Amino acid sequence: MTEAEQAREEVAEFQKRIGALREEIGRVIVGNREVIDGVLSCMLGSSHALLEGVPGLGKTMLVRTLAGVLGLDFSRIQFTPDLMPADIIGTVVLDEGAGGARSLEFRRGPVFANIVLADEINRATPKTQSALLEAMQEHRVTVGRSTHTIGEPYFVLATQNPLEMEGTYPLPEAQLDRFFYKLSVPFPTRDELHAIIDRTTTTQHNEVKRVVTREQILQMQALVRRVPVARHVQDYAIRVLQATHPTGEEAPELVKRFVRTGASPRGAQAMLLGAKVRALFDGRFAASIDDVKATALSALRHRVLLSFEGEAEGVSPDTVISEILKKLPGSKE
Amino acid sequence: MPLPLGYAVLVLTAVKALRLDATSQRPWWLLGAVPALVFLVGVGRVLFARRPSWLGSIALDQFHGFHDRVTSALTFSQVPAEERTPLMQAAIEDGAALGGRLDPRRAVPIAIPRELGVTLALVLGLGVLSQLEVRRVLPLPAPPAFEPMVMSQDDIDLFRDVAKDLQAKNDDPNALVAVRRFNQLVEDIAEHRLDRHEVFQRMGDLERDLKGNLELDRDARDEGLKGLARELEKSGLTKPAAAALDEKRLADAEKALRELAEKLKKKEGRPSAAELDKLRQALEKASRSNEERAKSIDQRRRELEEERKSLLKKKVDKPDAGATPDLDKKLADNERRLEHLDREKDRAARSQKQMSELDKQLAQAARDLLRDAGQSAEDLEQGAQDINRMAKQEASEEQKQELLKKLQEMRELMRQQGKGGKDQRERMQRFGQRARGQSSAGQGKPGEGQGEGQQGGKKNGPLRMGSGPGSVPIDIPVPVSQSGQGQGKPSGEKPGGSDPGSGQNYGTGHDSNLTGDATDLKGKTTDVTAAGADTGQGAAASQVIYGAAERGFVGRGYKQVFTDYQTVAERALSQDEIPSGYRFYVRRYFQLIRPRE
Repeated sequence: MTEAEQAREEVAEFQKRIGALREEIGRVIVGNREVIDGVLSCMLGSSHALLEGVPGLGKTMLVRTLAGVLGLDFSRIQFTPDLMPADIIGTVVLDEGAGGARSLEFRRGPVFANIVLADEINRATPKTQSALLEAMQEHRVTVGRSTHTIGEPYFVLATQNPLEMEGTYPLPEAQLDRFFYKLSVPFPTRDELHAIIDRTTTTQHNEVKRVVTREQILQMQALVRRVPVARHVQDYAIRVLQATHPTGEEAPELVKRFVRTGASPRGAQAMLLGAKVRALFDGRFAASIDDVKATALSALRHRVLLSFEGEAEGVSPDTVISEILKKLPGSKE
Repeated sequence: MPLPLGYAVLVLTAVKALRLDATSQRPWWLLGAVPALVFLVGVGRVLFARRPSWLGSIALDQFHGFHDRVTSALTFSQVPAEERTPLMQAAIEDGAALGGRLDPRRAVPIAIPRELGVTLALVLGLGVLSQLEVRRVLPLPAPPAFEPMVMSQDDIDLFRDVAKDLQAKNDDPNALVAVRRFNQLVEDIAEHRLDRHEVFQRMGDLERDLKGNLELDRDARDEGLKGLARELEKSGLTKPAAAALDEKRLADAEKALRELAEKLKKKEGRPSAAELDKLRQALEKASRSNEERAKSIDQRRRELEEERKSLLKKKVDKPDAGATPDLDKKLADNERRLEHLDREKDRAARSQKQMSELDKQLAQAARDLLRDAGQSAEDLEQGAQDINRMAKQEASEEQKQELLKKLQEMRELMRQQGKGGKDQRERMQRFGQRARGQSSAGQGKPGEGQGEGQQGGKKNGPLRMGSGPGSVPIDIPVPVSQSGQGQGKPSGEKPGGSDPGSGQNYGTGHDSNLTGDATDLKGKTTDVTAAGADTGQGAAASQVIYGAAERGFVGRGYKQVFTDYQTVAERALSQDEIPSGYRFYVRRYFQLIRPRE
């Protein structure tokens, strides 16, 4: 078997596993295909996802289901205004051994799991939110002088309520940037609502089973990194990124007027990694411009900061990014 | 469009030349030269224009919906075979497999130039037009409609008061300029001279100018003062000044330095030689503390630079030693520390700049202390003056912060009002009038409904304010007495009538069937006068608030109650962790119920 044939098989296997994951999650979660794909993309891109939506749309249920089908260690942190950083990362306690000898021992917090659900992350103060920063970026936690590594794969899924809601603290910009995608959970359609009601108000009970192993997830993550990207596709992602900056050469008028700061380079990384995952979802061997376009909203909406005028005029980052995609041709003329 | 333009110029030139009979003076080739030149320039431009790579294949991909599979395959095929990954190879094979399905004729059709129709139309049109000479006055397009930013009168009054208050409190010229600009902005909004965009732009400019390096400078000054305090604490004579500097009580620090100067000037009770020597050392060290801090940072920075160079060298020397991840980690750590030091250096430089005068005075005082204590005292007084200058600067910065806060409030307010639109503005307008105790539209008379209530004699309903035309009534529940208000017409006034009457009050007539005397109503009564003790405290807070609902937010009592409540609220806002959304609403609530003149 040639190497190319082997690669084909790997891609086919990837598609099969994704299909199984989607099917198993679909047994519990109704609709929301784009959100499910977005969450899976974040996990396969070895990064983290931020889900936003009003309470009751099944954000937490989605994450719990995902943890179930992946069969990984899972912990849930309910963020509240009085939550402290030590409640998340853990703390050092004085431990008395059998012989009366005392020693300091680090008790790991809930952040030490493969999948961490940070529920309603914007209910906690910025100080506590920031406690997740190192864990998310470095996959390790430093307490005092010692550093504790978190096992792979590591995936933080945070949910938040829309910022307009009372009693919420906006996430610090540095932390927002750490999230691969920000996914908006839409309100279900009428048919979806029927299905939700049927599943939740009757005796019908859907249990999910594990469909991939930890090793398989790591293999899938590695495959994503190996997907090649043609120069023109990469160039397109960079141009989209540059156009989010008011000083960008190809920035449309809307950006110049309403954007304070454009997306960081992590935005381009997220777009391209997301495009690679999407190519594999479709069984293709390379990412395309269409893939970049499809990922741009989720990858950039939390990285584009509107100016005060933009906020006052009610312009959303989604409008700005859609305008960029509309104005930017696929190939530079 | 070079081709149509060329033809158009040709036609125009030909027609005009013929009409002016120019052909007899100029040769015909001139007529052809211009369009030919235009044509050649157009062709050259097309030939030499830079085209992106793979334009054709991208068009094919887009037409067939192939998700760049053909273009990617072509791109990867240019990678040398030994550098290709298996996935690249698979992508090339995949692209090649699509070759048979490509239809370039439909994907990139060679169409008749779009300009052809335009060219012909232009040639014809120009030919016709050149024969005519029609003069027309073209009206200029109307300028875009100006939509001024509208703010309620009540809010304009609020911000006018804020500006007045800040102007009265300030004597720093820079801060005063900012306050005047703020005031001008409020006046321009009041006069409807600015649209929304201009308002935000001017607020943004003012905020940027105010912010400047305000926080950086303040932090740097605090650090510099703390450095001074650490050194001055070492001498018993400068301890009070050090404690005051450490706690940022600049007025106390100034006073302590002046007292020390007085002590040095006096001949009696002058400090001992040992104390003076300690003082000299403390002053000398204090004057150098900022400089030494900057030097120490420079030294640490140099060491880190050296370490970085050595790490980079190691990395270049041993690329395959297997220690690259460790080296990378060290390099990243080194870079982080360098960045941190750069920020610290910037702070130290700011601190040095701000403290330079005070440092100089302290150094001079230390030097003079060796020769003449009186001269040293004068130096210390100079130093005290410099602290006074810093205190003034700090006060001015606080005023700027206050103005910044007000600007932010104004911005948030406009944002909220922008959402509400015209209805919200009208509601605010009515609210402002009621807050001043006026009727809503100025036409309704307060208390019109009051009469109605009394006439009935048995109403216990709401009091209606401002029920005149065009006004919106507010219902305020006011208990109205039931007894003694009726006129008593139905009862008693018809003496001896068979109808006992259905009035609610006592009659005043006399029943003729009765033989006895009428009841003597004149009882033996004694007049008693009761007076409450005047504590001077006035009405209870609840009564004042209740009264404000009727009369508007006016009066001394209301002002007192408002101040008490606002103080408690401000304390909670500054001490407790409260989401910013809540803060705005609380402050806005107090703005709306503030006492009116």
